[in-house]
Amino acid sequence: MLINRSYTRGRRLLAVAVSAGALALTAACGSDNNGATAPIQTTRTYNQVQRLGNPLVSEVFLAKKDHPFHGSIGPADDAASFTASVKGFAAAFRPQATTLQTTLAAVLLPDMLIVQTDKAATSAGWLSWALANGYGGRKLTDDVVDTGLSAIFSDLLDPTQSVCKPGALPLCTDNVASHSTFTSTFPYLAPPK
Amino acid sequence: MQFKSPLRRGRRSLAVAAAAVLVTGAGIGVARASDHQDNPLVELNPAMDMTDVYAFPGSSPDRIALVLNSWAFITPAQAATTSFDPNLLYQFKIDNTGDAKEDRVIQVSFSGTGANQTVSVRGPVVPPVVGAMNNQVASADPVVTGKINQTLGTAGGIQVFAGVREDPFFIDLEQFFRIVPDRKPSTGALSALPDVASASSFRTTSTAVDFVKGFNVLSIVVEMPASQLTAGGTAKLGVWGTISR
Repeated sequence: MLINRSYTRGRRLLAVAVSAGALALTAACGSDNNGATAPIQTTRTYNQVQRLGNPLVSEVFLAKKDHPFHGSIGPADDAASFTASVKGFAAAFRPQATTLQTTLAAVLLPDMLIVQTDKAATSAGWLSWALANGYGGRKLTDDVVDTGLSAIFSDLLDPTQSVCKPGALPLCTDNVASHSTFTSTFPYLAPPK
Repeated sequence: MQFKSPLRRGRRSLAVAAAAVLVTGAGIGVARASDHQDNPLVELNPAMDMTDVYAFPGSSPDRIALVLNSWAFITPAQAATTSFDPNLLYQFKIDNTGDAKEDRVIQVSFSGTGANQTVSVRGPVVPPVVGAMNNQVASADPVVTGKINQTLGTAGGIQVFAGVREDPFFIDLEQFFRIVPDRKPSTGALSALPDVASASSFRTTSTAVDFVKGFNVLSIVVEMPASQLTAGGTAKLGVWGTISR
């Protein structure tokens, strides 16, 4: 505990120094906020250790050694950093399906959940923004594993050379369904087990 | 940090692998799923471990619900005592201009620990600092503050729930790593699976195993009018979650 406390103290000192620099940078360079930034409450600064947009992107498409890096940057750097990894993973299984490889990378990077809030709520679901110009996002009930598998191995994204149909064995479904009983009202997720 | 065994009766092949680990005295970790236990840092610090992010229409089509789940594989016995880390900043980040940089953030922080822990939610607000590093908490007063494990806020404005929920994710993770062994974890029961592909297809419905079933996570659920996120931009959003220390 003593070690932790002294570490925290040291980090705070560092944070003060860093925040002064950050403030100067913000003032000098502006930012991506239509010319505005919110006032800052304290001088404590926070550095990102985890980031998640689309499910499975880091887990499936990126080599394990790249996971900490993925967690330390923002989505604006994703296309430059990870396009080769996403294409490469798909190419390992379907080397001829170059259209699929390109489409996968374009849909999953930058790694954000894309939500088209002006589309019908009934069209919500992971990747529906790309597949059907729908609401997109990600629902609690979405079988993202099957969707991901189908994107790689079926004709979901590339009509040619599909190796299975969506939702069919051997590789387009893991045959596991949602185990939760969600509620129709806030907060939607099921109570703990 | 070691977790209790994630195994349930009937998961025979996994149980065999786990037993081997137990015999060596190494203890049992559990493997990553959607983004569960994504890297060694978060394996050692489960409070930093973000498992899933969701975004879907709320109680009416003009409202949007965002979910950030963290702390993978909380057992039923741990559910009553596991709370958020008050030293971390949890954020939803929203790009509404199409450049993959956040234009609005929802900042969630905690005070205290255990059942009396309180949550404070600021935003949606223009971020004080854009990007992954040197983030700061906005000076605006929290829009919602209150105890965890209960619904806070108003149904017409911003609603907040922070607390333990059942993990909604589902996957036959063991079979996935049998098919794609180079993605398997380096520690825990599933690390004992073969290093070379030992399966070429998933199991049938009757034999497939949902690796996440029976476990819980710490959920942050925020619902608000979508107009609070599209303000100053377009109707098309890019949403992601972050955990920072």
